[in-house]
Amino acid sequence: MDQFIEQIITGLSIGSILLLVALGLSIIYGSMGIINLAHGEFVMLGAYAAWVFHSYLGLGLLASLVPIFLVVAAFGWVIERYVLSLLNNRPLDTILATWGVGIMLQQAVRLMVGSELRYVQLPPALSGSMDVFGLSVSSYRVFLFVVSLALFAATWLLMNRTTVGMKLRAIIQDRSVAASFGVNAKRVYALTFAYGAGLAGLAGALVSPLKSVSPDMGTGYVVDAFMVVVLGGVQSLAGTVASAFILGELSGGIAFLQNDTVAKALVLLAIVVLIRFRPEGLFTARVRA
Amino acid sequence: MSSNVSTSNGLQRLTAQLAPLLIVCAVVFALPVLLNNDFLLNKVARYLVLGILTISLGLSWGFGGILNLGQAMSFGLGSYAMAMALKLKTIPVHTGASGLPDFMVWNNVQQLPWFWVPFRSLPFAIAAGMIVPALVAAALGWFMFRGRVTGVYVSIITLATMVVINLVIIDQQSYTGGFNGITDLAQLEIFGVAFDAYGRATYYLVAGCVLLSLLVAFAFTRSRAGLIVQAIRDHESRVRYFGYDVALYQIFVFALSAAIAGLAGMLYTVVMEFASPTFLGVQLSLSVVVWCAVGGRQSLVGAFLGAVLVAGMQGALSESAAFLETWTLVMGALFVLVVLFLPKGLAGLAQVIWRWIVQRRHASGSVAQGVGQTEGST
Repeated sequence: MDQFIEQIITGLSIGSILLLVALGLSIIYGSMGIINLAHGEFVMLGAYAAWVFHSYLGLGLLASLVPIFLVVAAFGWVIERYVLSLLNNRPLDTILATWGVGIMLQQAVRLMVGSELRYVQLPPALSGSMDVFGLSVSSYRVFLFVVSLALFAATWLLMNRTTVGMKLRAIIQDRSVAASFGVNAKRVYALTFAYGAGLAGLAGALVSPLKSVSPDMGTGYVVDAFMVVVLGGVQSLAGTVASAFILGELSGGIAFLQNDTVAKALVLLAIVVLIRFRPEGLFTARVRA
Repeated sequence: MSSNVSTSNGLQRLTAQLAPLLIVCAVVFALPVLLNNDFLLNKVARYLVLGILTISLGLSWGFGGILNLGQAMSFGLGSYAMAMALKLKTIPVHTGASGLPDFMVWNNVQQLPWFWVPFRSLPFAIAAGMIVPALVAAALGWFMFRGRVTGVYVSIITLATMVVINLVIIDQQSYTGGFNGITDLAQLEIFGVAFDAYGRATYYLVAGCVLLSLLVAFAFTRSRAGLIVQAIRDHESRVRYFGYDVALYQIFVFALSAAIAGLAGMLYTVVMEFASPTFLGVQLSLSVVVWCAVGGRQSLVGAFLGAVLVAGMQGALSESAAFLETWTLVMGALFVLVVLFLPKGLAGLAQVIWRWIVQRRHASGSVAQGVGQTEGST
């Protein structure tokens, strides 16, 4: 029984990291239809920013979260403004362009700070462990779980309860009609992309104490995040949450029964089959095409 | 009389379209005469093989509109087919002639696995190197296109499938050599000709395959099926309303492209003298997309040259690590610029320049009739 609960908690922990990384991608993909292959690099930038703030400015991880969000969001804004907005009618080409941007970011970081692994310290207040259902769990993982849900809630509020969110939803429904009502689509898109990038940066900063930081760390995350978004359904934030935790539990569970490789392969296969039979994702109601 | 005129026009157009293809192949065949260095020739042969791989992607992406991010899967399968056959030709150190390959002995395999047995025959291996990728692609194509999966989802499925196969190959170490791949191979020998990786014979074999793949791909794009495939790329539902079986044509171009990629994979094993899981890795697969985009996805010769030039440049700079790092950065920037401003790649740029020259000549009243028709995408 203990082992079972331990598995569940491992799954929740994997799931919260997945949710952190996937949330930004989900916003960008769901609202702009852009497959952002540079998303992993935004995660990487966030992790490096955490490292820089810590080792050069002496800021703790928690104190640097807001500046990291702003820095990575600024990167995102620039990229949307000067690259992606030129590709409005060519969705397939945005894959290529964002991939190129990702390569550039990765390589630029490698040239500037080298490809050695970097380490970020756990916040001292969270380096202990807590008691959850009679099991001792690292406090930081509990913290990640709470933060990921909080960020989801913030994003949901932003989308559904603010003017910017309303404008964005209007553009998603019909860009030209929204524009004729005076919505500045370009600006909203740039802000959306910046927000998504900022979230990825936060995710990178938050996972940096758990994993080593390297220029190519983003590659794995972008694939995982993608799977979450595809499984959850493109325009459904709640679906993203559900699928992040489902995938977390699944890969935790299969890895426990089999090995990591088999777990990965099975999850990928499941996704392939899912795309074939339910391309709109598990958690979206079928709307008219 | 009028039909006569149109056939001669058609012939003229065909020659104009074939010209770049033949010129490029002539250069490829003439190169060993100029380049008297076996080491360099081996390198060039490697880039040519990558060029063939890129032609195969151009066929499915540029002409079929199917952005296959897992093109290296077919390449890797071909490469492993050849490596398995060549591995079985070696005399194992541990078990003597016709014994088990060394890595199987290390992994305590007692008997040659059933799927290795037919690879004792080289003709079987060569056939399998193209047919297996084509069949896998056809099955995957059937799975996707019958379900009317399009666009981005095709890219995700192909990429995910390749990663799965890659993981399986790495995981099944005792049957595939795992992470190390299959190394220490015998030389390929066909009709008494030995293909040493650093020999001229291998270079000409590769050059011959370049010519062959360009011609086959070219012939396909001019065929009825090829035209329908291009029509599907431009307007899928319209073609469907005309009563064509859209999925069938998509499956066909997908499988043809996989077969050519499989051929390239086999040649790669001969040139590199090993097979490795990186041959069906994400890195290579995405690089192929870059080469194809830079060269020109809707031009077979363009895609080929894109691969040879970019991979060649990268290889030339890889001598120095600092250079290579900077180059990757420049390459990323170049790629973004090409995607943004040259969606048809360098081949598209060449076409624009060529048309401009022709127009100038027309304007200045010189005799250049018929040349203006060269809008061919060869």
